[in-house]
Amino acid sequence: MSANVLRDLRDLRVQVIHPPDDEGKNLVDHLKRIGCMVEAVWPIPDAPSEQADILMLAIDFHARDPIRRLLRGHGDNGAALIAIVDYENPSTLQLVLESRALAVTEKPIRPFGLLTTIILARTLWLDRRRTRRQIEKLEAKLSGAHKIQRAKAILMQTQRMNEDDAHTTLRKQAMAKRISIEEIASAIITAHELLTTQFSRS
Amino acid sequence: MSNPSWRVGLLFSQTGATAAVEQTALQASLLAIEEINAAGGVLDVPLEPVVTDPQSVPAQYGAQAERMLSAERIRLIFGCYMSSTRKITIPVVEALRGVLFYPTLYEGFEYSPNCVYTGACPNQNSIQLARYLLHVYGNRVLMVGSNYVYPYESNRIMSDLVVQGGGKVMDEIYVPVNAERRDFAKALRQIEKLKPNVVFSTVVGGATALFYESYHEAFGLERAPIASLTTSEAEVADMSAQAAEGHVTAAPFFETLGTPAARRFVGAYKARFGAQAPVPACAEAAYFQMHLVARALRRTGTDDPDLLLRELRGAEFDAPQGRVRIDSQNNHAYLWPRVARLDAQKKFQIVWNPGVRVKPDPYCVVQSLDDWSADPLTPLPA
Repeated sequence: MSANVLRDLRDLRVQVIHPPDDEGKNLVDHLKRIGCMVEAVWPIPDAPSEQADILMLAIDFHARDPIRRLLRGHGDNGAALIAIVDYENPSTLQLVLESRALAVTEKPIRPFGLLTTIILARTLWLDRRRTRRQIEKLEAKLSGAHKIQRAKAILMQTQRMNEDDAHTTLRKQAMAKRISIEEIASAIITAHELLTTQFSRS
Repeated sequence: MSNPSWRVGLLFSQTGATAAVEQTALQASLLAIEEINAAGGVLDVPLEPVVTDPQSVPAQYGAQAERMLSAERIRLIFGCYMSSTRKITIPVVEALRGVLFYPTLYEGFEYSPNCVYTGACPNQNSIQLARYLLHVYGNRVLMVGSNYVYPYESNRIMSDLVVQGGGKVMDEIYVPVNAERRDFAKALRQIEKLKPNVVFSTVVGGATALFYESYHEAFGLERAPIASLTTSEAEVADMSAQAAEGHVTAAPFFETLGTPAARRFVGAYKARFGAQAPVPACAEAAYFQMHLVARALRRTGTDDPDLLLRELRGAEFDAPQGRVRIDSQNNHAYLWPRVARLDAQKKFQIVWNPGVRVKPDPYCVVQSLDDWSADPLTPLPA
């Protein structure tokens, strides 16, 4: 895992959003020295590049409005953000927190440490993506289990089945129709809701 | 200019674990300074070496660099050997606005705007050595190294290359930097048991000769070769010819390199420091970097680090190893990789000379053997 991040270092696309001054130039030079693909942008665009894996953003409090606009276009699946800061005052820190940066590098930017910062940010980003996907999967599973439970309750109530029979019925129906057991459960719930609504209306 | 002389700091150990090899870099720096001064110095002002002995102790390099830069008002320092000594010196040089010229091979993954690196980084020696070893000796490799950062990183790179070549790393064993004979017992036992095709050694300094001697005592001449990037003429000088014979090293320079420029340099060095004095790659780097700096100084007229570094970036020089160049992006040198084998007189005989100048790539994580597969390689005579 960590070895892969190192291996993929040279495939990383880094977008640098920093004024093109000496610091910005040194930063871009060192990223190139490391061997990353670098795209430097200034002034602050409305949204980060969709191709970037890493976004290095100068957090300048005076530019907070364009920074906030940029961050609105930076979703969960956007690049790993590394904040470049020159002050540690609470207003700047507030912006860093809002940026959901995974790592921070300080000004003046020194070559030593930048590689570590990039590697950590990328690793955290990959970890988060994996965790997010896992949570989505678990949520789907949980919601499925909940539906099956509900459908079984409907069958037990309306068809006077015991729980085992209700479960077997669901499974057989799913197999016969070649759909998932969650889908058959959803269908039963929807049908039951339709019927009971009609009843209550009449 | 009121300069009575251009004072330059020479920060090489004359005592301690790595004294033998650092001494050669010191002497080569002095030789270059003498040549420069004999030719009129820089803008009619001689270079004046200020020599200290950091005793192979990392903290001493930092302290002595600091004294040179602050009390002695020296801007340019030539020195360091082990990575630990460079790591401690660079922040000092950065903070006090000096420049360090580092003539030693190292593990890469570094750039300081205040350092110029004239030794090989891994893409200029490891990959060529691996190509040669896999082609000539086989792909079962056992690694023995001194316990510090260079050997670890060097072994990581070599392991990667061995695996790419379909081979196997049999074991990886570390000994203390100041290892004694008994510290190699475990390595020798594992070599006996696992019978590798090649032993890759990243043992450095005085322990090197002890390792090669113990290896020879244990296995005689019927043995797998020891391959190394750090076993140079300086370490071989402390070995018997039998212990040295047959082993392999990759470096950009060997004292037996027969080109006119190499002969001239080696001849001058031996005339000055003795016919038996070893002339390893880091001496050659120390020599050419001093000449490069003198030439840059002539153009800038000042040893102000910013101006001098600007002049040095992209600069080329006809070094004993061939024409070198300082890369304008990463401050490392373009060098000429070569592989040599020690003969029965413990002289390095070049067995593979690709004839290619290689651009330094200090941040290369994954090296590819395929980049070198097309080069002609002749197997050794049996």
